[in-house]
Amino acid sequence: MSEQTSLSPQKPLRTWSRYSFPESLWSFGTLLAVLVFLTYSLYFLNIDVLMMLGALGKLVGVVADRFYPPDLAYITDPGYLASILDTLQMSFLGGIAGVFLAIPLAWFSAWNVTPNRRLFFPLGRFGVISCRAIHETIWTILFVSVLGFGMLAGVSALTMFCIGFAGKLFSDEIEAIDMGPVDAMRAAGANPFQVFLYAVVPQVRVAFTGIAIYTWDVAFRAATVVGFFGGGGMGWYLKRNVQQLENLRVGAIILSIIAMVLIAEFISGWLRSAVNRAK
Amino acid sequence: MAVSDTHIASLSVQTELRRKRQFKMLLFWGVFLAFAAWCVQGTIIEDTDWSRIGGRSGVWASIGRYIQIDWGLLPELLVPTIETFMMASVGTVLGCFFSLPVAWLGAANVTPSKTILYPVGRFLMVLSRSVHEIVWALIFVSAVGLGALPGILAIAMRSVGFISKITAEAIENIDAKPVEAIRATGGNEFQVMYYGILPQIYPVVLATVIFEWDINIRRSAVMGLVGAGGLGLLFFRQMNSFNYGGVTMVILAILLLIVLGEVISHYLRKAVI
Repeated sequence: MSEQTSLSPQKPLRTWSRYSFPESLWSFGTLLAVLVFLTYSLYFLNIDVLMMLGALGKLVGVVADRFYPPDLAYITDPGYLASILDTLQMSFLGGIAGVFLAIPLAWFSAWNVTPNRRLFFPLGRFGVISCRAIHETIWTILFVSVLGFGMLAGVSALTMFCIGFAGKLFSDEIEAIDMGPVDAMRAAGANPFQVFLYAVVPQVRVAFTGIAIYTWDVAFRAATVVGFFGGGGMGWYLKRNVQQLENLRVGAIILSIIAMVLIAEFISGWLRSAVNRAK
Repeated sequence: MAVSDTHIASLSVQTELRRKRQFKMLLFWGVFLAFAAWCVQGTIIEDTDWSRIGGRSGVWASIGRYIQIDWGLLPELLVPTIETFMMASVGTVLGCFFSLPVAWLGAANVTPSKTILYPVGRFLMVLSRSVHEIVWALIFVSAVGLGALPGILAIAMRSVGFISKITAEAIENIDAKPVEAIRATGGNEFQVMYYGILPQIYPVVLATVIFEWDINIRRSAVMGLVGAGGLGLLFFRQMNSFNYGGVTMVILAILLLIVLGEVISHYLRKAVI
């Protein structure tokens, strides 16, 4: 009895904590550094923090004040409906061209099956990264300055965008394949092209189809604004009305863009699940 | 005899199925090619003014203007590059801030009301993703005026969709046992959230946020085209003053910034996971 009471005060008093010492120092140090950087950024960019936090309320006010009620008669105009078809055409063509150009680039830039690690691998990687790095609007401006206004510039810009988007996903997919068939083909003396065609393609066919459909979906989203910089389609109407301060029409156009993107997303989701079922 | 009969019967069923599938594929490719031909007809043949492009030499001449890089622009690039980087960072953090309530509403197992607020959360996610960042920037420029602020807000709004979608999925997939254990030992709602849910979702969410930050650098580089600051504004000015060498210089700066962001995000994500 007496022994027990003498033992109990010797138990170390420990308070439980989620982080132990060195880990806590690292995580809190990183957090502090990020916070300091963010605060300095706000100061450097000269931003009114209260205005930033109150902007959402202000957004509701602005939308209710200027963009409501949207001029729905404007978007049922035949000219505008034709521009929706133009946007669809551009996204479809850009998607096809981008996906077909992305396949060889993805093959080059996949480390495990690239035909040549010193020459083709950096070439493929650089191609995909530079297409991805430059935003689709900048591609549009560049192509417009070379090819002139119109849908050709838009299609070219979307092609570059799709190469970057699909190329990255494709090469990630190729790098995750089972290497058994590849090794077998190589051991039997196949050249890199035969290895790609008979060992890689059958494994990634279904995934590629899904990615291609998704690429079209994303390209359609991008296609709604390439016209803003001269690429043709719905964006051209957006630009014209923004510059004329026709806010009710702008509201209607934005609504139609949201509706079209939702429809595209629905179609692409349905197609992708159909592809997965047919597998 | 009977065995070979059933064998032949199943064989004929299989050939029938295969023929049907081949027919379906043929039909699909036919429709696909017809649609592609219609698109080519509409965009490239009807809508393009080939004489204005001026043949191969004209195109080469236009491209050639970009190749004479204007190195004199180098000192002017530093501040806009830093601005672009900061806009992306602040915008991403603000986007995380906005996506917390959206993820809370849109996760089926923690949403306060499944009939009303859950669809609202899902709708907000879709809305944020379906409006392009340029359109968001246009709306915010008209709401809060020119400068870096509309760019930050546009980036934040555009990021909400992706971050909150992944976060909501992560919350839906958590293991319920730690949550129950903390409840059983008497933890309150905040403790359940902080010790039960947060440690389970935070690697996924942090990796997503870093990925989104990487994309946001690209987006913040074009915000200047519609009136927000950063490299886009410089790009716009160089383009409007027909200084094509300067345009190339700005694009090189964007490329450098993005490669830098990609390297940083690669190592950060490795550290998180």
